[in-house]
Amino acid sequence: MQLSTSFLAQVTPVEPSPVQAALTQLFPADNFVLLGVILALPLIGAFVNGVFGKRLGREAVTLMALSAVGLSFVASLVAFFMVSSARVGDELVRFQWTAWEWFRLSTAGDFSQTPLNVAFSLDALSAVMILVITGIGSLIHLYSSKYMEEDPGYYRFFTYLNLFIFSMLVLVLGDSLPILFVGWEGVGLCSYLLIGFWFDKSENASAGKKAFITNRIGDFGLLVAMGLLLYFVGALDWSGIESNKEALLAPVKLWPIGNEVPLARILPEDAGKWLNQPRYVSGATLVGLFLFLGCAGKSAQIPLYVWLPDAMAGPTPVSALIHAATMVTAGVYLMCRMAGVFVLSPTAMFVVALVGGFTALFAATIALVQNDIKKVLAYSTVSQLGYMFLGVGVGAFVAGFFHVLTHAFFKACLFLGAGSVIHAMHARIHDTDQSQDMRYMGGLRKFMPVTFLTFAAAWAAIVGFPLTSGFFSKDEILLKANTSFVAGTSVAQGDFTWPAWGHWVLWGLGAAAAILTAFYMTRLFIGIFFGEFRGWTIVRGYQAAVHGHADAGHGGHDDHADEHGHAHEQPGPDMQGPTPHESPWQMTLPLVVLGILSLAGGFLSAHLFHVHPLDDFLGPVFGDAVQRVKLIKGHETRTIPLVAFAVVAFLVGSLVAYWIYLQAKGEPARKLAAQFPRLHSLLIDKWRVDELYEETIIGAVDSLADMCVWFDKWVVDGILARLTTAIISLSGTALRQLQTGRLQTYAAAMVVGLAGVGWFLLTPRAAAHTSADHSSGRYEITAAPGFGYGYRWDSDGDGQWDAEDFGEQRTIAFSLQTEETRTIRLEVRNAFGRTAEREFTFSRPKPDKSGYVAAATGVGAENLKNAHEGVGMKQ
Amino acid sequence: MDTSLMSSPGVMMLFGLSPILALGLGGLLLMLAEAFGRPVVAHALEAQAIGAQPAGPEGQIVDAGAGRAAELALGAAVILFAGAIFSVALWLVGPENVTATERVAPYLLIDRFSVFFSFVVCLGGGIAALLAGGYLPEHRIERGEFFPLLVFCTLGAQALAAAGDLLSLFVALETMSLGVYCLVGLRRTSVRASEAALKYFLLGSFAAALMLFGAALLYGATGRTDLAGIGEAIAGLSGDGLEGRAAQILIALALLIVGLAFKVGAVPFHMWTPDAYEGAPTPTTGFMAVAVKTAAVAVLLRVLLVVFADERLGSWGTGWPPVLATIAVLSMFIANFIAGRQESVKRMLAYSSIAHAGYVFIGVVATSRSVDAQASVLFYLLTYTVSTLGAFGALILAGRYRAEAVSYEDLAGFGRRHPAAALAFSFFLISLAGVPPTAGFFGKLYVFKAAIQGELYWLVVLGLINSVIGAYYYLKVLVFMYMREPKPGAPFATPMRSGYVATALVIAACFVLGLGILPDTALEAAVAAVLGG
Repeated sequence: MQLSTSFLAQVTPVEPSPVQAALTQLFPADNFVLLGVILALPLIGAFVNGVFGKRLGREAVTLMALSAVGLSFVASLVAFFMVSSARVGDELVRFQWTAWEWFRLSTAGDFSQTPLNVAFSLDALSAVMILVITGIGSLIHLYSSKYMEEDPGYYRFFTYLNLFIFSMLVLVLGDSLPILFVGWEGVGLCSYLLIGFWFDKSENASAGKKAFITNRIGDFGLLVAMGLLLYFVGALDWSGIESNKEALLAPVKLWPIGNEVPLARILPEDAGKWLNQPRYVSGATLVGLFLFLGCAGKSAQIPLYVWLPDAMAGPTPVSALIHAATMVTAGVYLMCRMAGVFVLSPTAMFVVALVGGFTALFAATIALVQNDIKKVLAYSTVSQLGYMFLGVGVGAFVAGFFHVLTHAFFKACLFLGAGSVIHAMHARIHDTDQSQDMRYMGGLRKFMPVTFLTFAAAWAAIVGFPLTSGFFSKDEILLKANTSFVAGTSVAQGDFTWPAWGHWVLWGLGAAAAILTAFYMTRLFIGIFFGEFRGWTIVRGYQAAVHGHADAGHGGHDDHADEHGHAHEQPGPDMQGPTPHESPWQMTLPLVVLGILSLAGGFLSAHLFHVHPLDDFLGPVFGDAVQRVKLIKGHETRTIPLVAFAVVAFLVGSLVAYWIYLQAKGEPARKLAAQFPRLHSLLIDKWRVDELYEETIIGAVDSLADMCVWFDKWVVDGILARLTTAIISLSGTALRQLQTGRLQTYAAAMVVGLAGVGWFLLTPRAAAHTSADHSSGRYEITAAPGFGYGYRWDSDGDGQWDAEDFGEQRTIAFSLQTEETRTIRLEVRNAFGRTAEREFTFSRPKPDKSGYVAAATGVGAENLKNAHEGVGMKQ
Repeated sequence: MDTSLMSSPGVMMLFGLSPILALGLGGLLLMLAEAFGRPVVAHALEAQAIGAQPAGPEGQIVDAGAGRAAELALGAAVILFAGAIFSVALWLVGPENVTATERVAPYLLIDRFSVFFSFVVCLGGGIAALLAGGYLPEHRIERGEFFPLLVFCTLGAQALAAAGDLLSLFVALETMSLGVYCLVGLRRTSVRASEAALKYFLLGSFAAALMLFGAALLYGATGRTDLAGIGEAIAGLSGDGLEGRAAQILIALALLIVGLAFKVGAVPFHMWTPDAYEGAPTPTTGFMAVAVKTAAVAVLLRVLLVVFADERLGSWGTGWPPVLATIAVLSMFIANFIAGRQESVKRMLAYSSIAHAGYVFIGVVATSRSVDAQASVLFYLLTYTVSTLGAFGALILAGRYRAEAVSYEDLAGFGRRHPAAALAFSFFLISLAGVPPTAGFFGKLYVFKAAIQGELYWLVVLGLINSVIGAYYYLKVLVFMYMREPKPGAPFATPMRSGYVATALVIAACFVLGLGILPDTALEAAVAAVLGG
């Protein structure tokens, strides 16, 4: 509450304080260099740590990385308050900073060139995003400084992490799609590097590759969307797209390709007609769907979600920062950024909402049965991202973005809490899988009070405990899914109107997912913190005799399974170990901050209590887009029942889990699994989607690759390369024979060369340039100039030279009648008295149709000139 | 600069000639330093003292009385880079503003053309000096005279590019050539080196004689020795005045082309090149491949565009362009074909330099038809200089005493064992092959662009074909470095450690990359430097 009121005070225009005035003077809106500062700091951090990190030592690396992100956070705060104070009324505030001019693109529509500058801009949307990125980023940097303490790749880790912050900032601050794309690829790269951070284990490396390749598919969509935008709109920067987006309503014929389908002729008439019927979509739908493909890749939506669960191979702070709080929400950010384009297409919006809803439910079902705590959280992230897309898909951009915010709080908190737990488990269990397996945990609330309390806060938020942040954001999305829709545009052809059942389907998906979420999160929560500790038998004063690192040796928590040589020791009652310990303050402080935010963050947009500073703040960004978003009739009456349902969903989900896992010690779950073994194993195997992809897409790509290999091996290598090589070698071998090493040969070659040059200069050449214009009958011959040359002509074709002496006249011109032919002779004599002769035969053809037309209209007469060079010429 | 100083003709004269004077005085100082410096009796006596066999690189007796090369190398490099810096300063002031130098005209023409070339040859010489600073001590040929000779050769190259008179042209040519003959034969105890030097000397004298003969004919025909005067006289010839003299002038043209084509190393006047390049110490090879060639192209441009600028001599039917085009095509094809068959990388690079002469000649031919051609040739020479010296430098870096990296086989697996050195080598080779974003790419691009502008499509097509053939043997080095392992028991290259060589490579790499990414500045300079521009 406190936060939101102070926030409100900023939004209402007040007399600018001297500090504000000075800031505004220092950073004018059209040259907002502060963005450069925000961007540069993490980049400097990455550079210093990357280049010198090995020599700097742990403390210096920590200092560099933390201060880079921390200062960037401070600068972001300043920028944020400048944005919020600069606002007057409903005007959109956008601070711009152009770093340099990059290149120009010519667009298809007209030949004017679209400038592409390396420009950045800050508005309300990106201001909130940079706060999340640098703020949560700072917390996670702090956390990592302890978590990664013992890792040999410490400096490398922070280099990547800083580089990630930089790329993410570029993504968010970029003023155009290409710049956003640079950041988009940058975060993808960092994600790849960090997932495969412990690349010495092959599964980690392949998880990194999987993430990278899956994202490529999405990036393809984004690139296509950029091309389409350039084609339709002619601009790629935000204001350019915004001002000209109506052009996207132009219909695009998708089918049939060409005029008709050839197949239609052999089909019955009706079927053929149906097949040949032209089908249109609007440009906006195309752009929207391709953009969404990009978003689905980055934000792990069906069908491209498969990389995110595997991405948990990376260090846990990375999972928290990149794969929960920031990077994966880039897709939602992009949708919000392009809201104006998306709402032009009800089709695209419906697809987005539907995919989002399905993803939310689908991922939640998988999360029900996973035992790896990070896997549970990963599927939960996919599911929550689905919610966000459900929200933005129904046009509730603020609600969707609000969920980005609250999810960043509670999911980062959950991941960091999980990291803290894993950290504790590592005191004795060093195997990656086992240290993350909740079957070996339990009862940890006694040993790790801070982690427990913060985890509880985040749990409350995600399951939708009333008045927590997740409650408000999820509730708002479900409410909007049930009540709002995107109105069709009257202009666009092939338009699509949302079906009436759409609301119930979308809401039903979200609501079912909400119940499941409450269930699996409670299961996870109980599994970690309640019941008896199942990891090992706790022995007071336990000394790790074998490897002397009872407490300190948890470097590289998720990795190095076999390094310590006791991976063979099975966790369980047979194993002995020390008391699990709470993590140091560097790790608990971020947890506490995020825990508080998870609880209180909801009041940024608590419509239930009519407190919604976030909506006011973001309003201008979506002002235009939400015009097309309509609410169904009678939506007011649905608010209370839907809120009530949300509470019921939370209660049902969590109480059932409570009963099954705490009261009945998991017995009902085991029974259920035994009763439906196939369904259970299907869920455990994540619906076998990976296997499906393996068989279909990857299989197809593999066979294509095999074909290419064959072609490369036999055609390119075998024929082209070998043949070329053979030719070169043979000629080389032949020519090498001349290189005898004997001086005489060399000198002889020079003499031959000199003779050649001399012969060329000694030989006269009667070269000439002719021009003919058949329409007018004028012809001209110009002999090439030559030093010391004399020329004589036989211009009338009588076999006699015009003059016996060689003169200096190089050009002769003459006219011919129609169908007249004449032979001109030229003789040249060079300085050495040698002569050469050449004959030119000219004939003027009978004017054909085109010739007359050309001559009569005077068009093309110019073109005809010189076009017949050398006509009828013979030597 | 103080205005009174600026107005003083003496000072301005010194300033205008500063690139040349720096080398001249510096060379003399180096000679003194070499002669009076502390004589160091090198490895031979040391080796004897510890009772080892006094043997040199190829098993011969080591030269007694050899000096210490490293300090002199530094001195020579400083002098040569100073020459380059003076050239830059002169360029920035603008040689046309330094009117005092008209007093040495036409013997030395201090114009933007000559200042540009002065920079390029000084840069090439400086890098070569640094390479020698690492190479000569490593291979126990610490002969101090190398460095004064190198400086004087570069001085000759500078003067050659600036020469505006047949007399000074010949003197400059011989200043350059005589020094290079000595540099080639520096390894006195090596039969191969002596043979190379002798071959080069004899054929060089032959070519010089031809040139001298051509110059004499020109003087006979026109009565002038300054190039501009001859050009004017030729342009003025017509009618009766032309009779008889035309033949002399044409023969002179043929002789001059042949003489200069010899220095450039173009086919069929190239046959000395592989032998001389291979026998010479590698820094010398690099220097010959760049500075000598560059200066020869400069003087060729000046001769063709000033003396034989007449329309009738630059005619496409009957003048010098078809001659040079033929030489260009022959150079590219023959050199590239033979280069592909070499087992020795050094010899491959020698042939490669012949092929590059062919590419340069495409640009020279295009000068008769395209306004951009001259600038493209100048730019090409700059890119070629840094890429080639880099490649030779990397080859030097790859070898050690008694284990000089020579053949492809020596380099097998080099990339695995010494990634940094191999990376440098690959970098310069792909620049020579003309792959972006290196200097070599833009060099080729502009030459071909100029030729296209001149409608010499067939020449461009042949040039492109040759670029592909060239890629074959450049990439072959990469294949050996990265994809082959040395045969068991076979010798393999171990890189030497030398700050000089490393510095030279860094300088060259900066240029190669800089020109590859931001070619604009250098290209603008080249455009400003053209003759008659």
